[in-house]
Amino acid sequence: MGNHTKELTKGIFKENPTFIIMLGMCPTLAVTTQFINALGMGAGVLFVLLFSNIFISLLKNVIPNSVRIPCYVVVIASFVTIVEMVFHAFLPSIYEALGVYLPLIVVNCIILGRAEAFANKNTVLDSALDAIGMGIGFTLALSLIALIRESFGSGTITFMAIGSWDGVIKVPFFNKWPVRVMSLAAGALLLMGYLKAFFNWNTARRSAKAEEGKA
Amino acid sequence: MSRYLKTALVLAAICAVAALVLALMNMLTKPYIEAYEANKVTSALEQVSCGMAIGEREEVNSGYVQYMHKLTSSGKTTGYILGLVSNGYGGQLTIVASYDANGVVMAAKLIADSETPGLGKKAENDGYMDIFVGTGTADRPVPTKKGMLNDLDVATVSGASMTFTGISKALSSGSDFVKSL
Repeated sequence: MGNHTKELTKGIFKENPTFIIMLGMCPTLAVTTQFINALGMGAGVLFVLLFSNIFISLLKNVIPNSVRIPCYVVVIASFVTIVEMVFHAFLPSIYEALGVYLPLIVVNCIILGRAEAFANKNTVLDSALDAIGMGIGFTLALSLIALIRESFGSGTITFMAIGSWDGVIKVPFFNKWPVRVMSLAAGALLLMGYLKAFFNWNTARRSAKAEEGKA
Repeated sequence: MSRYLKTALVLAAICAVAALVLALMNMLTKPYIEAYEANKVTSALEQVSCGMAIGEREEVNSGYVQYMHKLTSSGKTTGYILGLVSNGYGGQLTIVASYDANGVVMAAKLIADSETPGLGKKAENDGYMDIFVGTGTADRPVPTKKGMLNDLDVATVSGASMTFTGISKALSSGSDFVKSL
C-alpha cells in the first residue's frame, strides 16, 4: 500500500516533471499565458499519460524491444488525437486556445519519458498511479506558472465561462498596470528560473533537515 | 526471418487497433465538430455584416480571396463579405471581412488560426481588427507595415508581426478585389 502511495505522490512534489525533472518545458512556457489554458493542457496530458502508461504496461511483453519506441509513439499519438477530437467537439474554446500545442502532446517528453522509464518495466497499477501523480504534478506546476503570469501580465485570472459569467476575475492593481513582460516568453523564462530556484532551495533545506535528524 | 515477421505483425496490429479506435472516435465527434465550425462561420458572417442582408456564397479562389457574399440593403448591393486565407506565424489564417462597394474595410474577424497563445492569438480579440476598419481608400490604404500605424496600434500588434502582416496583406488584397468588381 505504502509503495502505491509513493508511486502516486512522487510526481506531485519529489519528482515533479516541471520543477524537478524539468521535462515538457515547451508547452509549459507556451500555454501558461492564461490559467484556463494551463488547466486544459494539464487535463489533456493527464489523460494521455494515464492511458498510454496503462496500455504500454499491458503490452510490455508483446512489443518487441527493437520497435518499442515506434509502438509507444503510435499509442501516444492515438490518445492525443482522441483528446484533440474531444476538445474540438465539446470544449472548443480550450481547443482554440491550446492550438498547435495540443497535437504537440505527442512529443511531450514527460509522456514518452514515463513510457520508456516506468510503464514498460512496471505493473499496470503502478504505471497508472505514476501517470496520475505525474499528470497532477504537471497540471499543478502549469497552473501555478499560469496563475502568476496571467495575474501579473494581464491583471486577470481566466476560468471557463459559465452562463452569463465570462469566467474572468480581474486582479486589482495589475488590471490597470500590468507587468507586460510576464505575458511574453521572456517573462515565462524569468518566472521559471525563480520557481526553479525556490524548489532547489526547498529541496536543499529538506535534505539538510533530514541530515540533522539522522545526526 | 520469423523474428522480423513477428515484429512487423505486432507493429501492424497496434497500428490497426489505433486506426479502428480513431475511426470510431471520429464517427462520434464529427457531427459536433462540423456543427461547431459551421456555427463559427455563420456567427462571424453576421458579426461583420453590419446589419445588412447576407447573400449566397460565391466561390472565388483567387489569391487570398476564397469566396464572397454580396451584402444588400433595400435590394441594392451595398458591399461584400470576403472569405480570406493567409499565412501567419503558426500556419494558415482564415479571415472573414466586409467591405463597402468602394473596397473600404467595414469589419473583419479572424475565425481560424494556429498562432501562439498570448502573442498572435491576440488577433482573435475584439478590437484588434479596429486597426483596419475604415481603411482601403487612396488617402488611407490598408496598413501592411507597422510604419503605417499610430503608436497605440503598434502596441496592439507588437510581439506578433507575422500575424499582423498575414492579416493586413489579406485585407489589402480583399480591398483591391472589391475595387476590381
